[in-house]
Amino acid sequence: MLGKGGKRKFDEHEDGLEGKVVSPTDGPSKVSYTLQRQTIFNISLMKLYNHRPLTEPSLQKTVLINNMLRRIQEELKQEGSLRPMFVATSQPADPLSDTFREAQPPFGHLAPPGLLPAELVSTMPLESCLTPASLLEDDTFCTSPAAQHDGATKPPPAALQPVKDSFSSALDEIEELCPAPTSAEAVAAEPAAHDSKAQPSESDVHKPEGLPESRTAEPKLMEPLPGNFEITASTGFLTDLTLDDILFADIDTSMYDFDPCTSAAGAASKMAPVSADELLKTLAPYSSQPVTPNQPFKMDLTELDHIMEVLVGS
Amino acid sequence: FLGAGGGNDIQWCFSQVKGAVDDDVAEADIISTVEFNHSGELLATGDKGGRVVIFQQEQENKTQSHSRGEYNVYSTFQSHEPEFDYLKSLEIEEKINKIRWLPQKNAAQFLLSTNDKTIKLWKISERDKRPEGYNLKEEDGRYRDPTTVTTLRVPVFRPMDLMVEASPRRIFANAHTYHINSISINSDYETYLSADDLRINLWHLEITDRSFNIVDIKPANMEELTEVITAAEFHPNSCSTFVYSSSKGTIRLCDMRASALCDRHSKLFEEPEDPSNRSFFSEIISSISDVKFSHSGRYMMTRDYLSVKIWDLNMENRPVETYQVHEYLRSKLCSLYENDCIFDKFECCWNGSDRQVKFLSLCTSDLSNIVMTGSYNNFFRMFDRNTKRDITLEASRENNKPRTVLKPRKVCASGKRKKDEISVDSLDFNKKILHTAWHPKENIIAVATTNNLYIFQDKMN
Repeated sequence: MLGKGGKRKFDEHEDGLEGKVVSPTDGPSKVSYTLQRQTIFNISLMKLYNHRPLTEPSLQKTVLINNMLRRIQEELKQEGSLRPMFVATSQPADPLSDTFREAQPPFGHLAPPGLLPAELVSTMPLESCLTPASLLEDDTFCTSPAAQHDGATKPPPAALQPVKDSFSSALDEIEELCPAPTSAEAVAAEPAAHDSKAQPSESDVHKPEGLPESRTAEPKLMEPLPGNFEITASTGFLTDLTLDDILFADIDTSMYDFDPCTSAAGAASKMAPVSADELLKTLAPYSSQPVTPNQPFKMDLTELDHIMEVLVGS
Repeated sequence: FLGAGGGNDIQWCFSQVKGAVDDDVAEADIISTVEFNHSGELLATGDKGGRVVIFQQEQENKTQSHSRGEYNVYSTFQSHEPEFDYLKSLEIEEKINKIRWLPQKNAAQFLLSTNDKTIKLWKISERDKRPEGYNLKEEDGRYRDPTTVTTLRVPVFRPMDLMVEASPRRIFANAHTYHINSISINSDYETYLSADDLRINLWHLEITDRSFNIVDIKPANMEELTEVITAAEFHPNSCSTFVYSSSKGTIRLCDMRASALCDRHSKLFEEPEDPSNRSFFSEIISSISDVKFSHSGRYMMTRDYLSVKIWDLNMENRPVETYQVHEYLRSKLCSLYENDCIFDKFECCWNGSDRQVKFLSLCTSDLSNIVMTGSYNNFFRMFDRNTKRDITLEASRENNKPRTVLKPRKVCASGKRKKDEISVDSLDFNKKILHTAWHPKENIIAVATTNNLYIFQDKMN
């Protein structure tokens, strides 16, 4: 790294990494190109998934890093390389790119690679009068029809659950305190709004056809871990809370109510209600009391306080 | 480079430095924006702690003709407070992203300041008199017992110590889902635009509960998002024209008369990529961090990571001039990506429209002929469009005595380092100059290091 007065020790290594990109077809330098590409890929992943700011991450930075990842993956795809990629962390490397891949086919024929978002199918008709900015926030968080959505197995596209993000990042933190078993249930928590029963196997409600194929095609490329919500917290731009949700939707306060049986907002609400029962499941291993669904529960005030602290990230 | 030689070259001297001396920088003190007002008498800075500090230039002392007035603190106020978005469980930073002054219409001064989400119109006014001699109130404000009042008198205004008050007159909130990166006041002085990553809104200065969306590049499917808005500015003369830059190195010029929603640009400025310079980081370094129109509005300047480009509004396919700010960093891009420096957003500015400067620019009819921008190691650079000469200077407390001409700096890219040169590896990447401003009329510049504000003037003979 460069710093004040820092001396470089490994000049040759640096040259290989920092030097001009050589064409991948050159024989001996293909290695250094591949190495460079690999390094940059790893760095990009770490930037996306390790970063946990208290404030929203910069959308510009996220977009640029995502573009970098996509470009490298495109290259790999074209090269037909199935060599396993080193995933620097144990976190899921891939879900973001998978969802990108899934999302592309529907618009693929419409949008050649270089096309700018401004020129893509725009849902905003040209109006003869000025559009008040407040109306913009009517756009739905369901940014594309269900068929195109990647399954909710892996980090579900947050587009489905706008408010889920704040809950999910909170759940995230809770999950970090307790290991994986709850994450499968937590995953199931989202479609619970659509399904009455929450079962891990049913969580890919919106799984598109393309998913299994892509999975088998690049088996080792990335191993997405189920139920990890890191991605939704990091890729802030996938979640787009609309002003409508904030102003008009019923805020689900079941978490803060002592009466857990009241289910959250009704069908009219666009929000995915995280009802107390689902939340319970994720909290179950955390709480010292055994908890079963559909039973009223009493939580210690102190435990609730502690959870509140975790939720507001203090 | 611009040296002490030619009679027309500006010789920059240290004038003042503001801010804490210690190396330990408090995060709240990090300067995030610098802006002169239209007369140059006031200089405003915003910081990460949400504060605005305004400096005022002393009236020129006729006896001291060898230096221009010094800048002293005029007003300090807390513009924005940190907020918490409960739905997203994220903090909203109070950092001031931009300050823009309104032209002065009466005794008070007005400026717009913005953080990521909210824009505020501040009125800064002076009070140097106060009424004294109330009948019902004591001097300290306590009410008198009415039964003790035996005579009546008329309160009079008495002089008092100058007090500068800042009050928020308008708060423009809740119109941006994403982070505001630019505000720009229209030449009609009635409207202004605010731009975030995906949208640009048009406001009327008097109306806070409504704004109109004029650009929206949010894709229907957020997963397809590959480009964001990075900066926007109104044309200095044409009140229906504005430009916005993107993270892919393009600039779009839009005319608000064409349609209500300016999704179609009137012009698209983009330079084709140089294949010999292609790298993994080509896109990132092409991202434009600042765009500024020239005084006449005929040209505009853009800043990307490694260069400053001057565009002629009549030519879309390439810039008319390109100046390399720190080309020696091109071979370090991987490290700079790793430590996030590659995402640093450098600003750029034009010289003021000074009489002397006008003389230099006889060959071009534009008064804008020098560009200034920052770099690392507390270096900043200036490029003269006419002479094609450039200079690198350093903002540092060492070796800076008032009225001593600043010594030019040079970075040694490779090979043998000459005396007084600095090698690339010795550069301090934590000392970055992102914000600079040029006095609108005189050769006075304000340069912000991390937490200090330097003021330099040209040497007056």
